[in-house]
Amino acid sequence: MKGRNDYLLEPKLAWRNVWKNKRRTVLTLLTIVVGCGMIIFMNAIATGGHEQMITDAVEINTGHIQIHEKGFWENQSIDYAFVPDDDLLKMLSTDERIAAITKRVNAGALLSFGNNTYAAMVQAVDPEYEKKVTVIHEKILEGGRYLNVSDRTGIVVGKVLAKNLGVAVGDEVSMISQGFDGSIAADNLTIVGLFDTGNPELDQALVIMPLARAMETFTMMGYINSIAVRLKSVDDMPSVRSDIMKRTDAEEIEVMGWDGLMPELVQFIIMDDAGAYITDFILLMIVAFGILNTIQMSVYERIREFGVMLAIGTRPSQVRTMILYESVFISLIGIALGLLLGSAVSYYFSIHPIDYSDYAEEMKVWGMSTLLFPARITALNLWVTSLFILVLAFVFSFFPAQRASKLRPIEAIRHL
Amino acid sequence: MSIIAIKALVKDYDVNGIAVNAVRGIDMTIDKGEFTAIAGPSGSGKTTLLNIVGGLDYPTSGSVVVGDRDLSGMSSSELSDMRLNNIGFIFQAYNLIPVLSALENVEYILLLQGVSKKERQDRAREILIEVGLEKEISRLPKDMSGGQQQRVAVARAIVSEPEIILADEPTANLDQKTGANLLDLMHELNRKKNITFLFSTHDSMVMERAERLIQLSDGMIASDEKRR
Repeated sequence: MKGRNDYLLEPKLAWRNVWKNKRRTVLTLLTIVVGCGMIIFMNAIATGGHEQMITDAVEINTGHIQIHEKGFWENQSIDYAFVPDDDLLKMLSTDERIAAITKRVNAGALLSFGNNTYAAMVQAVDPEYEKKVTVIHEKILEGGRYLNVSDRTGIVVGKVLAKNLGVAVGDEVSMISQGFDGSIAADNLTIVGLFDTGNPELDQALVIMPLARAMETFTMMGYINSIAVRLKSVDDMPSVRSDIMKRTDAEEIEVMGWDGLMPELVQFIIMDDAGAYITDFILLMIVAFGILNTIQMSVYERIREFGVMLAIGTRPSQVRTMILYESVFISLIGIALGLLLGSAVSYYFSIHPIDYSDYAEEMKVWGMSTLLFPARITALNLWVTSLFILVLAFVFSFFPAQRASKLRPIEAIRHL
Repeated sequence: MSIIAIKALVKDYDVNGIAVNAVRGIDMTIDKGEFTAIAGPSGSGKTTLLNIVGGLDYPTSGSVVVGDRDLSGMSSSELSDMRLNNIGFIFQAYNLIPVLSALENVEYILLLQGVSKKERQDRAREILIEVGLEKEISRLPKDMSGGQQQRVAVARAIVSEPEIILADEPTANLDQKTGANLLDLMHELNRKKNITFLFSTHDSMVMERAERLIQLSDGMIASDEKRR
């Protein structure tokens, strides 16, 4: 029979039922709108915050991708060095996804000034290229400067290391280390600037010196320890890394993404995400139980009405479908408004990030150098939140709907 | 020609562990076009009998044949289809769908039957005019009086021109005058459209106007009086 399949019957009745008890519908909508909005905003802050942390970490020193001789990252020794072939360098300089690259020599060293001697991590760079990959040059403290191409013995050091050594800009320090050929590598270097990255590890150990000088001091003979790559978009990291790996010998060269270079950051993001998921779950449950409560109450109040509908020939499945439509309608309106609310709040915080600059020192204690947490809305966030609420609304409404469809008409009609 | 045939009908209920014999062996037939009232005091089994004939309840034993269909053994979906296409219901408390207007309440049955929009609106409007509600067509049940709501319920019951209309104490919630008007209306429809009406009632006015009066007592037929 055509009427049994009239696809407009149940939604039409459901739509009117939704607005029959306006106050209850509005209260349920508020629960969904606020819940949906909060989930979207919290996820946007988490996404934006994580991306900012990654960007900060990548920009400070690591880059998005690093290329080393196999074993370098694990051993952090100057002995693991390589000469990049022309094919690889051509690919790195022509790939549209790559913003810049920088070659580095990395070595552990002892730095002395007067009676003070401290261990340091020497990173030798070509300042012109390095400035395109990292932002340490923007973190130079007043009174100093970053390296320039004409520097021979100039170095910049972290402000904590400088404090420990008791040095200032203009002082000459002695460096002693081991060269690539096994010889003693020693040099006298002049401090031209101090930097404050906010990253305790870098500020208390990193020393940046000119690559050309390091080639001589460490007897590198054209070898380098790493190439750091900065991408135009962090999202391209897996594909670029994969393309580089295709052009290198995996037995000799390791190509690491930011996630492999900073596993502790990945761990932090995973843990932070886990916390966010728990909050999302709690909010989703509040929304779901709000919907359940509304549908449950609505069904309970209309038992007699359902009895009549069933008695005059409405099929149980039509009653069930109608109630599910009611739930879906309320949810869809709530989701639409929730998306607007969540997106609007997130948009505001994408322009005006949450600023922890006033708590910078406290944040450093926790190893956090990121101080601005912008919100970032993603399509995935909006889709997943909407879908979860819709599915939960459907599932939580199914049982009251099923109960209504199973009513015995004569008992339901007598229900007060 | 009988349109309802009931044989050895028994209905027992279990109320909190106590067996209640609501119907205790009823045999009767109702012919097409009859205007019959089933009367009796509360608990005599008249509503139970009506519910079983309407396929809203199952008998404990015995058989009920409506038209040429034996209700015993029919599934709930088959009973649902039978109620939709062959039986019109009028309930004591009007029981309209509150979110639908008078016209839409009447149209609802035709909608379930798959009648086209224009035809069902025309028929529903026509019936509402016939029951004297042309001015109330767009009103919601909450905006109508009890008598008007019961007229909509009558219109809903007859709009699909069912073979039988079962009315469970249709005048119980109406004042004397409104009840009398409603009875006039139903009697007229009975005569004009040859629809079989079966009432349960303990309203003396309904009993007086019925063409056949079946008195029940303790779940059994105490008397069966055909007046015309």
